[in-house]
Amino acid sequence: MSKRYGLVIDLERCIGCHTCTISCKFENSIEKGSGIRVETVGGPQIDTPGGTYPNLSMHYLPIPCMHCNEPPCMEACPVEAISKREDGIVIIDEEKCDGCESCIPECPYGTIIFDEEKDIARKCSFCSHRIDEGQLPFCVVCCETEAMYFGDLNDPESSVSKIISSGNAKTIVKDTDTGPVVYYCPTRSGKIL
Amino acid sequence: MGESGKKKVVRTYCALEDGIMCGIRAHVEDGVLTKLEPGDFPEDPELEHICARGMCMVKLVNHEDRLKHPMKRVGERGEGKWEKISWEEAFDTIAAKFKETAEKYGEESVSIGTGGYVSSVLSMIFLKLTNAIQGTYLNLGGYGDAAGPCGDTTSFGSIFAHRYFQDIDDPGMYVLWGANYAETYPLRWRRIRDAKEKGVKLIVIDPLFTTSAAKADQHISIRPGTDTALALGMIKVVLDKGLEDRDFMIKYTVGPYLVRSDDGKFLRDAGHSEKYMVWDSITDSPRLADEEGVVPSLEGTYTINGVECRPSYQLLVDMTAEYTLEKTTEITEIPEEIIEKLALEYVEKKPVASCRGWGLQRTFHGDITHRAITALAAITGNLRNVSYPNIVLNRRDFVGVKGRQCRFMPIMNLYDAAIKGDPYQVKSLWMTQHNMVNQDSNFNKLVNEVIPSLDFFVVSELFMTTTAKYADIVLPASSFYECLGLSTTYELSVYPYLQLMQKVVEPMHDSKPDFEIACEVGKRMGFSEDFDMTAEQAIELLLSADHPSVKDVTIEKLRQGPVKAPMKDEGENWKFRTPSGKIELYAENLQAFGEELPVYKEPLESTRRPEAKKYPLNYFSTHTRYRKHSMFANVDWLKELDPEPVLEMNTADAKERGINGGDIVTIRNDRGKVRIKAKVHEGVRPGIVNIKQGWWEKDYIEGHHQMLTNSELNPSQCAVHEPNMAMLDNLVEVSREGGDE
Repeated sequence: MSKRYGLVIDLERCIGCHTCTISCKFENSIEKGSGIRVETVGGPQIDTPGGTYPNLSMHYLPIPCMHCNEPPCMEACPVEAISKREDGIVIIDEEKCDGCESCIPECPYGTIIFDEEKDIARKCSFCSHRIDEGQLPFCVVCCETEAMYFGDLNDPESSVSKIISSGNAKTIVKDTDTGPVVYYCPTRSGKIL
Repeated sequence: MGESGKKKVVRTYCALEDGIMCGIRAHVEDGVLTKLEPGDFPEDPELEHICARGMCMVKLVNHEDRLKHPMKRVGERGEGKWEKISWEEAFDTIAAKFKETAEKYGEESVSIGTGGYVSSVLSMIFLKLTNAIQGTYLNLGGYGDAAGPCGDTTSFGSIFAHRYFQDIDDPGMYVLWGANYAETYPLRWRRIRDAKEKGVKLIVIDPLFTTSAAKADQHISIRPGTDTALALGMIKVVLDKGLEDRDFMIKYTVGPYLVRSDDGKFLRDAGHSEKYMVWDSITDSPRLADEEGVVPSLEGTYTINGVECRPSYQLLVDMTAEYTLEKTTEITEIPEEIIEKLALEYVEKKPVASCRGWGLQRTFHGDITHRAITALAAITGNLRNVSYPNIVLNRRDFVGVKGRQCRFMPIMNLYDAAIKGDPYQVKSLWMTQHNMVNQDSNFNKLVNEVIPSLDFFVVSELFMTTTAKYADIVLPASSFYECLGLSTTYELSVYPYLQLMQKVVEPMHDSKPDFEIACEVGKRMGFSEDFDMTAEQAIELLLSADHPSVKDVTIEKLRQGPVKAPMKDEGENWKFRTPSGKIELYAENLQAFGEELPVYKEPLESTRRPEAKKYPLNYFSTHTRYRKHSMFANVDWLKELDPEPVLEMNTADAKERGINGGDIVTIRNDRGKVRIKAKVHEGVRPGIVNIKQGWWEKDYIEGHHQMLTNSELNPSQCAVHEPNMAMLDNLVEVSREGGDE
């Protein structure tokens, strides 16, 4: 059976250190923005809680490309620069991309950024260049609290499959279910969003 | 690690944080540092770790604003007018100026301060240089890290006793006390995370709602600087219920030792001045503490040779008696039932790991707070004999210069030394690896009084920092990816390894490693033999210690990877380096300050003092994940996440002052004023405002976060170890720009 890569992020483990964000910038040479951003779930601003002092809550939510089964970005690209590999990874062909930005508003998760220097759309590729060399995505390697698990969803023995089959991880489904393969283990209080 | 074509990967370590030193695999392409990733620890793969800041060292190494060549000041100090000079001229000038100062004011008036001496032992070359010139070596711990060591010196006779509290096996509960490990100490946080996942309860005691607080089972918000009272109140709960660990008190503390009521000293045997006395409950008579068969009393009042004596434990019990739940709540503003439950959990969930954070020591009486928590942990039997990694290097031969010896001065004493000649005059200063003006208290005093009192001021740095700006000579230093170094272990080490700092890339621009700079100056000061040494030779010398930890360890071996340190412990009897060899919950030497017991003292700038009428808010400057002290404030990639300094304040305090998020506000006290944007949210306790530290002067609309901090000296800290800066113990008022002041 072919591989189908997926990612599990444990939100109870995530401490909002942004090491994923920075590691992505280094690995993929992204000057502004990153293939993975970390949102604060709580208050309206970064690193602020919801509630009223002292009854507060806050957690962090890293958001990379969800590598959807039916990626709306792919549909939206007029020059067919976005494709889905056999292993499920959605990639942007930087040679083909003409920087029209049509894909950017189509992503329900807002994970596509515009690279002004290169004049193209950029996003997380699960570090496909590393995967092809048998390595893990760089953010997974660098995660400070080991909150990220990457592997083959088609392999029942993979760490990701085991977590998902235990029922501890869910995807974030927006208005239309695009089939995201980034799963989240909720916080102890059961929160993802 | 091999080299393939123009790419190579080098195993080194990150020297950003004294005592952490994460292993690093550094990627180099065509001689340029391109990427960093976690480096291996062969026997401990779980220790592989990197953080966002650590990665961004690539950005600092390659930063276009790096200092590129030595410069001398041609305008007024701080004016920013510079002229490029050669290294030769720089070295000659420094040597000539140092000699001039020494002749005019005495050798001790030449001072040198360096950070980073734990990150790389080679930084101790500055201690060698100070020894050679018999100058003054500045201890930099006083910039926020000295009050805990004061407290632990009193209690344990060593400056870092943290492991007894926090590194205990299988704790039944974790208490992060004034600590935010999830943001500032993620590697240690992993241990807490693992425990949490096994169901171990986590309590965070902090006035701020930090990331750690957000992860905790319980967040206990406390009035700033009142943690001592909380510990005393908890002790009283434990004592009232008869839950104290009497065996621990007798075996490991001075609890049973008798204290004379006439002079407050321990009662000693008439014939042996060093032998302590106890009251033996079997024979009902005074006995030597170490006498066979003695069962000492912890309580009571006894008259011995006409002098009334009590066991020091009894004195502690008497002192805590007033800390009823009612009173403790009144002081700490923590509800009574929470204090009581916490106290009982310290007994029920034994062993409880207390992680004493740096927040505790950054109030004026932070030393006493450490002692009070020690008393709590001892009375509840929550201290453990934990071993530590112990590499022994030949430091003596490395830093020693025959027949020459420097003086030591705590950094907080430099202010009066420079301004008033108290305790003696300091006229020349070389500051390296430490952004003094940016990071040390009372910015205006430093810039307007301390630095102008100096005849000569040298700074070696990577950038034109807030400090370098005021120097007479600025030297471009190489970063730790551009030179050789060696990291060792100490009592707080999380990595039990000896690691080599490799020269991953050549020194950038015309920079030089600090080691080399110090040697060149040393030679020109007339110590050519002592400083005729390469970094390799220095490392070989350090490794030449006659100790099993470095047996057969060579530079070549270290190039292949880190070497594991042997563990050391205090042995079965668990002796301490205090005068008594026991944990001293009673300190004879602190009577003069009324601090022989860990008494509660109101913070220096408490909101309950009269001054608070004018300045009603507690001002904090805490650490953040986006900077390492003042490093990375100039890195665009991190500024995307945290773009500018902001004043964090609670919604209620903002509303009271007509302030909305994003408004420009003025923060002021008698020491200075700062103008920045307000960030209004609920994560700060009402009554507190906070500017996350590290921003440079140029990042502010006006002022700087250190313009608000005090530089008061705590006399008992001066007596015990060294005085600490209290950056969490300052009062301010905040007003909206254009609003009423």
